[in-house]
Amino acid sequence: MSKVLPGTKATRMELLRLKNRTKLAERGHDLLKEKRDSLIMEFFNTIAEMKEIRQQVESALAEAFSSLTQAKMIMGPARVIEFAYSSQVETRLETTTRSMMGVRVPVMSLQQDVPELPYSLPDSSVKLDIMTSKFVEALRAIVRLAEVESTVRRLALEIERTKRRVSALEAVVIPRLEATVRFIKLALEEREREDFYRIKLVKSRISERQDAE
Amino acid sequence: MINDKIAVIGDRDTVIGFRMAGVKESTIPSNPDETREALVDYFRDPDMGLIIITEPLAKTVEKTILELSVSPVPVIVLIPDRSGSTGAYEKVLKELVRRAVGIEIDI
Repeated sequence: MSKVLPGTKATRMELLRLKNRTKLAERGHDLLKEKRDSLIMEFFNTIAEMKEIRQQVESALAEAFSSLTQAKMIMGPARVIEFAYSSQVETRLETTTRSMMGVRVPVMSLQQDVPELPYSLPDSSVKLDIMTSKFVEALRAIVRLAEVESTVRRLALEIERTKRRVSALEAVVIPRLEATVRFIKLALEEREREDFYRIKLVKSRISERQDAE
Repeated sequence: MINDKIAVIGDRDTVIGFRMAGVKESTIPSNPDETREALVDYFRDPDMGLIIITEPLAKTVEKTILELSVSPVPVIVLIPDRSGSTGAYEKVLKELVRRAVGIEIDI
């Protein structure tokens, strides 16, 4: 048995108000349940997508590492490191957000500024170019992965929050409202019976008095 | 919002590769404390949008990563290093699913 809301007056006004509140709570509960279900569906879709991208990242990186090894073999490890640290290529991230069922999720893309001559061409091998483009490709996949991963994370958070609200309505708010409605109804009925009895009593006294006169 | 920087924490090969691809922030830590320090440093940078860390290194600072991944930005992504994936991210994913749906599901 859930608790009756504290400070309730057993009046007809209060009863009407509470009935409306119960109706509202139930409607909210249904809506939230629907929201939760569709969020969970979206969540699993995104997870499937994430697995796919994960595999892309893995294969892109494997390729990138093998071309790195080739570049190192041809140019020597020290030279590759030297080139890597003096690279003029600049990569930036562009982040915007979009809304997905009320959840703000990030949209990321890669912005690259490549100078016409990123490094000394006579000193570098073609393998270095291949390696660079492979790593850029891998980076693109990683950025995509980051986007999807943080989408999944935010969806998970929103699902948790929605679930908590649904169960709060289900287990606390609605039963409490219903108990209060029941309490007011009983109290009103009780008062009605008292009134009825009181009228009866008064009536019989009046008729007794009339009989006596 | 300007979260446009990318950082890499990884072994030498990973860092070299991403440097060539234009990533400007990078660290090659030699012990877990350095990894954690680098991670927190990059995390505190308000311009940071993405932190890439290799799985073997991530494993040594798992707790810090879990703590930091509560916040939405910057995103921390684990990638396999040249010896291949270790499946460290599956664990993180499973935990997410468990919390969101309430049951453990193999995906």
